[in-house]
This record gives sequence, C-alpha cells and structure tokens, in this order.
Amino acid sequence: MADFQEQQTPQAGFFQRVSELIPFDWELIRHASAEPVPYHIKKWWFCLGGTVLYLFVIQVATGIALTFYYVPSPDQAYESVAQITQDVRFGWYIRSLHKWAANCMIVAMFLHMLRVYFTGAYRHPRQLNWCIGFLLLGITLTFGFTGYSLVYEQLSFWGATVGANLAEAVPLIGPTIAYFLRGGPEVGENTLTRFYVLHIGLLPTLAFGLVFLHILLIRLHGVTELEFEGKEVPEKERHFRFWPDHATTELLIGVLLMYLLTIMALVFPAGLGEPANPTQTPEHIKPEWYFYFNFRLLKLTSLRVSVVFTMALGGICFLWPFIEQWLSRKFKVPDRVWVMLGVLAFLGFLVLTVWESFVQ
Amino acid sequence: MEIRGLGMDLKGKSSRRDWLAAVAMGVGLAVSYGVFALEGLLFLLPRQIKVRTRNLFAGKISQIQVGGVRQLFDLEGNAILLRRKAEREFQAFSSTCPHLGCKVHWEEEEQRYFCPCHRGVFDSDGVAVSGPPADGGQNLTQIPLEVDEDAGVVYIEVKDATRRRS
Repeated sequence: MADFQEQQTPQAGFFQRVSELIPFDWELIRHASAEPVPYHIKKWWFCLGGTVLYLFVIQVATGIALTFYYVPSPDQAYESVAQITQDVRFGWYIRSLHKWAANCMIVAMFLHMLRVYFTGAYRHPRQLNWCIGFLLLGITLTFGFTGYSLVYEQLSFWGATVGANLAEAVPLIGPTIAYFLRGGPEVGENTLTRFYVLHIGLLPTLAFGLVFLHILLIRLHGVTELEFEGKEVPEKERHFRFWPDHATTELLIGVLLMYLLTIMALVFPAGLGEPANPTQTPEHIKPEWYFYFNFRLLKLTSLRVSVVFTMALGGICFLWPFIEQWLSRKFKVPDRVWVMLGVLAFLGFLVLTVWESFVQ
Repeated sequence: MEIRGLGMDLKGKSSRRDWLAAVAMGVGLAVSYGVFALEGLLFLLPRQIKVRTRNLFAGKISQIQVGGVRQLFDLEGNAILLRRKAEREFQAFSSTCPHLGCKVHWEEEEQRYFCPCHRGVFDSDGVAVSGPPADGGQNLTQIPLEVDEDAGVVYIEVKDATRRRS
C-alpha cells in the first residue's frame, strides 16, 4: 500500500495518470501522425482514396441512423422505408444522403483506382495494397447490391432476385452460395433478412478490417513519390506535414462533400417506386448503374459465359500487379502497353455501361 | 532449465516425440475448429424440407379455349401458366424463368412466353428459342398435370408444405 502511494506523484498531470492506466507508447501516435506527405497530394485527384473513406464514414453514420426505423421483413420493409421517407423527421434527408453517398463512393472508388493504375502506384512493393483495394471494391459493390434490395420496391426486388440467382452460375461453389444468399432453393422470405445482415453486419465488419489494412500498408510503405516532368521542386517543399496541414485539407474536403451530398439530396431526393410484387416481373428492369456493365454482358451472352467471364476479369484485376510484373519481366513489355491496356479496359467498361443506359 | 515448445526445444532441435506431439496437436486443433466451422456453416444453410405433392384444381376444361393460357397460383403463391394446347391436351409451366428467376408471361399475339429481364423467349411448348435461356439451353419447367375428362376438369401437381414427407 505504501509502495503504491509513493508511486503517485502529486505533480503528475492528468495525461500522465491516463497513460499509466493505458501503458502505451504515446510517442508512436505522435510519430504516426507526423508522416511527411509528398507535395503532389495537394492535387485533388490524389485525395480520392481519402474521399472514399470520408464517404464510408458518412455511410456508417447515416446507415446506423436508418436502422432505427427500417424493418427487415418482407411485409414491412417497404412500409418502413416509406415511413422513413415521409414521416420521420429528416428521414428523407438521411435516406437521400445514404443513397447519394453510396453512389459517390463508387464513383470515387473507380476514380481512385484509375489514378492508382495510371500513376503506377500499385507496382512493387505496393502490390498487396492493390489487392486489398480491389477486395474493398467488391465489398462496396456488394454493399450497393444488398442495400438497394432492402428498399423492397419492384425494381430492387427483381434486381435482388436476378443477383441472388446469378450466383448459381458460378462454377463448383455457385449453388451453395446462391442457396446461402437466398436462404433456400428460391428467393423467399429468408432472402431479405439475409441481405440485411450482410449489409449491416458482415460487410461492414469486413470493410473495417480491410480499410484498416489498406491504410496500415499505405503508412508502412509511405505514399508513392512522384516526379512531374518540367517541375523542379526544392527539397524543402517536397513534403508537408500530415498533421495538421493534410488533416485540415481532408476535413475541408469533407465539408465540401457534405454540401454536395445535401444539394443532391435536395434536388434528387431518394424516391420510392411500386412495392415489390413477387408474382410479377415489371416490363423493364434495370440494376443500379454500376452493374450496367454486367447487365449488358448478361444480355449479350449466355449465363455461364458471362459469369465465368466476369469472374476471370475480376481475378485478373485482383492479381494485376503480380501478373503485370511477371509479363513485364518475361516479355520485356514497355510501360506504354500497360497504359494502353488500362485505357482500353476502362473504355470497354464505359461503353457497356453507357450502352446499357441508353437501351430499355 | 529445459523449456520445450511444440515440436522443438528452444535451441531449435526437435526429437521425434516432439514432432509427433506437434502433429497430434495440429490435427486435433484443426479437427476441433473444423467441426465448429462446419456447424456454423450448416446453421447458415436452411434445411430443405421435403414435402409431399397434391393435385390442385386448376379449372374446368371448358373455361380455357384451345390455344389459351391461364395463370394460376400454387400453394406457395408461385404463378403457374396453364395452356390448353389442343382439344384434349394441356401443358403447365412454372412462370419462373430458368435463366435468373424472373417471371415470364404469355404473349397472346406472338404465341410465346417472354421474360422481360433479359429478353428470354420461349415458344408455346416452353422451349427456349432466343435470348440468354436459349444460349444456355434452359427451357421452362413443366409442371405435371392431370386431365379428368369425365369430370371435365384439370388438376396440376403442386407442393403442399403442410404435408411433410417423413
């Protein structure tokens, strides 16, 4: 007892006492937040990853708010969304924010990916972070798919039906995945609760873990240093401080994003179509725009071909840094070939997406 | 003092006994956690309950014209399309598209079943003729039926969830 009291010096400040309760090397935090940031990050297109993260935080906040009113059961889901939109105070605003932040998040993610690709930031030693990023893209698209289905209007119901059945065509494990997603041999009353659990439980957990790894790897490798032709920057101006300079910029971008989302919510508030009718498919169905690419493929080829093609494409994209490295070494391919390939791949995606958006 | 870890001592030397112990431990742990994982997985896949079928009254023969199609529902609420093919010949199809599960409907003028999702077309016999179902060779699922000519009625065979198969 006497020993214990001797250790407590009256001069020890509040911070000292706290750090005794949590025996952690606080210098580490100071060190971690003092990361020097290369000057090119001052250009907005290098902040797209941060934009995605900011939008993800908005999704978490508005998403938690929405779960206070949403009821994940087939006979009440649509009604509860209608209630959120029409009766709950600021319900239309929270729901519209959630919708538009989701769309912006996917746009920002695609742009972030393009930026990383065309600046070669995925190359050695940062290959793994590209793979993690690609998994995050997959998770985000699944977020979009499951979230849209929860609205339980005609279009979203049939989108969910098609999507869940689509899994069936995956070779070998497809039937089990489809069975798991639907909660039975057909889309039924289990399906909605499953999509809900994925949307608010499983996917966020995975996303949090992968985002942590993604940022950890960025921090460990440091941000890619770039040289711009014809721009001589004195050594002193090559970097600026993460804290407080870059953090302030990010916070400002955050406010700007909130303004943008609020304008979107005001001008194009999230609407509500006809309630889901499991006995009748509407004459024209369409998924969300980020699945147009796949929807077009489904119309162009047979089910098996389009699913296997999409999976192969996904696999190649996922492992691209390693595939490119291997090809470059083996065949001495010049860099401009990879740039052209990236342009072609993106144009292909764009053409199928735009094509689908113009036809019924 | 000798401290021994799994499979080897601290100097990195291992004896056969250590190695066997490590293998046994590894296998034991893998099996134990594997069983937990398997149980978790099975929990997530709902049991498929086998049910008996029964005949459901689908209508009087006289109610459907030759070449006409009538939509009715099974006991689970799934739409079934009953077609009178000829004077004494009937066909029943599940309205669920074999491609991705949308609902097909009968188009009288074109004499075809049509799925609006990906523009799948089936002829009057339920055979896929164009669109993705034709590419994949997926025809409409035929539902067994029974025509009772004496009574002048048609029955279709449907699943009855209230009658579990033991």
